Amino acid sequence: MFFKHEQPDPESSPEQMQEVLKQWQTWIKGIAQKGNYSSTNRLLSTGKTLKPNNVITDGPHMESKEMIGGYLIVNTNSLDEAVEIAKTCPNLKGGNGVVEVRAVMSIDANPDSDNFLYEK
Amino acid sequence: MKEYLLLFRGGDAMKGMSAEEMQVHMQQWMQWMGELNAKGKFSGAQPLINTGKVITGTKKVVSDGPFMEGKEMVGGYLILKAGNYDEAVQLSDDCPVLAFDDGTVEVREIQELQM
Repeated sequence: MFFKHEQPDPESSPEQMQEVLKQWQTWIKGIAQKGNYSSTNRLLSTGKTLKPNNVITDGPHMESKEMIGGYLIVNTNSLDEAVEIAKTCPNLKGGNGVVEVRAVMSIDANPDSDNFLYEK
Repeated sequence: MKEYLLLFRGGDAMKGMSAEEMQVHMQQWMQWMGELNAKGKFSGAQPLINTGKVITGTKKVVSDGPFMEGKEMVGGYLILKAGNYDEAVQLSDDCPVLAFDDGTVEVREIQELQM
């Protein structure tokens, strides 16, 4: 899942930030308790974007008005099951937040393996 | 050492490739990632399947997706270890997706969550 939101972030107080963080913690812990959690990361709002011919621009890649703020990998049996989890995401409380759910291709991700990047 | 998330977009031209061309292209990816791994900079990577679902807003509207132009869709990601943005960019600049006119690599610093 990719968590997307519009930039700039609305100004929020440290207390509000704390509250939002708590919602995320509770949400992710709940996923972990059900055994669906794999990994997650929050991204800083800085970034660089590379294009062909050595073109490098500052800042994250903006898809229309949205940028990716973080991601979460869950283990589920179907895309629908992942969507049900995504519906409870705190990113959808703000009104214009978006969660994109994408299936990860099942590959051999060990770079030392002879089958590195091949589909399992 | 910090961690950086690389997001790959574009490369729609890949769909028109012959099996042989595809093989060569995949080998370029394996070689690029193999080199990153040999330098101790590789942390993980996965390609994504093109289908997906997008959930929007408080009404939790579910739409089939991503349904965006190929150049805007994330096709895969890689987590890189680097000391700073300059090094992360330098390690990314021979990524095979940049062989396509519409290819981009977005480099984002990861802020680890305290769980």
